[in-house]
Amino acid sequence: MTRTSKIMIVEDDSAIREELVLLLENEGYQVFMVTNFATITDQAIREHPDLILLDIGLPGQDGFALCAALRKAVSAPVIFVTSRDSGLDEVRALSLGGDDYITKPYSVPVLMARIRAVLRRSIDTSEHLDTMEAAGVRLSLTKGTLTSAGRTVELTRNEMQIMVCLMEHTGQIVSRADLLDALWDSQIYIDDNTLSVNMTRLRGKLAELDMPDLIKTRRGMGYQL
Amino acid sequence: MTFGRFLSDRLGRIILWLVCFAAAVLFLAATGTQIDVLIILLLILLLVFLMVQATDYLRDRARLRELESILENLDKKYLFTECVPSADNFYKRCLFDLMRRAGQAMISAISDTHAAQRDYREYVESWVHEIKTPITAARLVCRQVEGEPRRKLDSELAQIEAHVERALFYARAESPEHDCVIRPTSLSEIVSQTVERHRTLLMQSGVRIETQGLEQQVYTDKKWAAFILGQLLQNSARYRGDTPVITISAKPLAKQVQLTIQDNGIGIPAHELPRVFDRGFTGSNGRSRGGATGMGLYLCKKMSGFLELDIQLTSEEGVGTCVTLSFPAKENLTRM
Repeated sequence: MTRTSKIMIVEDDSAIREELVLLLENEGYQVFMVTNFATITDQAIREHPDLILLDIGLPGQDGFALCAALRKAVSAPVIFVTSRDSGLDEVRALSLGGDDYITKPYSVPVLMARIRAVLRRSIDTSEHLDTMEAAGVRLSLTKGTLTSAGRTVELTRNEMQIMVCLMEHTGQIVSRADLLDALWDSQIYIDDNTLSVNMTRLRGKLAELDMPDLIKTRRGMGYQL
Repeated sequence: MTFGRFLSDRLGRIILWLVCFAAAVLFLAATGTQIDVLIILLLILLLVFLMVQATDYLRDRARLRELESILENLDKKYLFTECVPSADNFYKRCLFDLMRRAGQAMISAISDTHAAQRDYREYVESWVHEIKTPITAARLVCRQVEGEPRRKLDSELAQIEAHVERALFYARAESPEHDCVIRPTSLSEIVSQTVERHRTLLMQSGVRIETQGLEQQVYTDKKWAAFILGQLLQNSARYRGDTPVITISAKPLAKQVQLTIQDNGIGIPAHELPRVFDRGFTGSNGRSRGGATGMGLYLCKKMSGFLELDIQLTSEEGVGTCVTLSFPAKENLTRM
């Protein structure tokens, strides 16, 4: 991510609110939390968030009406958070301009994946490129190929997602658990052993490109590009 | 009511009348009335008497039939005494009134029970919604813990969530019309949402999931179908073998889409198969591994009834279990 996105949290439960702030800040987002629920729309206009996380079960307020007002005031996408998951609510929320809908209790990776997805959709789409480049290799997402110095190999879907995840965090260590999380986000539901198998194959293909050591193994920590 | 039963009810009175007739005839004969006159008198008397009995019989029979047809047409039969026309004499009215009072006592007892049941259901639903907030907070706090304790806490939280979800759907299944919305739904969306929801359990169990041909549209309620699928995935993860693989595949079949969930787990003994959908049945696997509630598959069966979803389970010990859900793929639902 080239610039930090600002996320506005509207949540009445203070424990969740504070944890969310910590969590999102750790993930590198800029966070603004609402503590005065009477002037939410004004605060949104002042703060210009890139994304609003809105609990529609605020005491004494109709979350749906609030969302409609927010949509009018700012252009930021809205993710609804709710503990009520009746089907009608969902339809209503999305028809009122919510961009996504997540029900409590959500797990953290799921929440993060939703936030990333909504941000990716809304923030300048040019950032969402067809090709990625890092460490001297070029990955074509549409063709599913990896190119280096004129040579090209074809990747399977699993290998490509592993590569994407590593390239998004070039230079950083990516743990096996993070890799698995990223793969499950992309609906590739594999286990640890299969990850090892895919990793070996991917390295084999990198060897064909004369870059057998592109992906370094950091013992006990994970992988690094 | 037959004429015989009617007569036997009135036998005492009829005999009394006949005795009176005989006594009157004897008295008149003794006081010198002509025998011809007596016979005519007796015939007229008997004729009138018989006509009275016959009209009584016909009237009683007609009334009984009317009452029976009222009862027949009532949806809630216990409201019978509230619906019948009032009786024609005081004694019958008193009897009816007694019946009605007894009936009213029962009706109010029933409506109290209904109200209590509804209150309970509403309480369970709101409780479930309340409990989700602290669970969510706990999940977030959990992120600050590292390593093994976090993994353990995550899995305990996932279990709490699973129990809470079952309680919610148990309450909902009592009156499905409040919650069930049937509309065209993408099967792959149901599957990916369900996997996402049970991700902690599945990943920690080291499960690999393979999907095949899920690009189908079915007519169902997304949340309910996801719940059913979730129970099946939890079972597959819980009763897994050494290298657990769950294959989720779909294929269209006439007016249906068949979703098959196949695992390579420990399987279910053949003699327990007929009972797996019974309420509270845990089986030998459930007992030996612990934590089984016997509610998951029971709820699946019950809910699939509302969704007009056919659910079939086959299993072989040591090989795996296969559950097939047949979704309606066309809008041919009759009930909801």
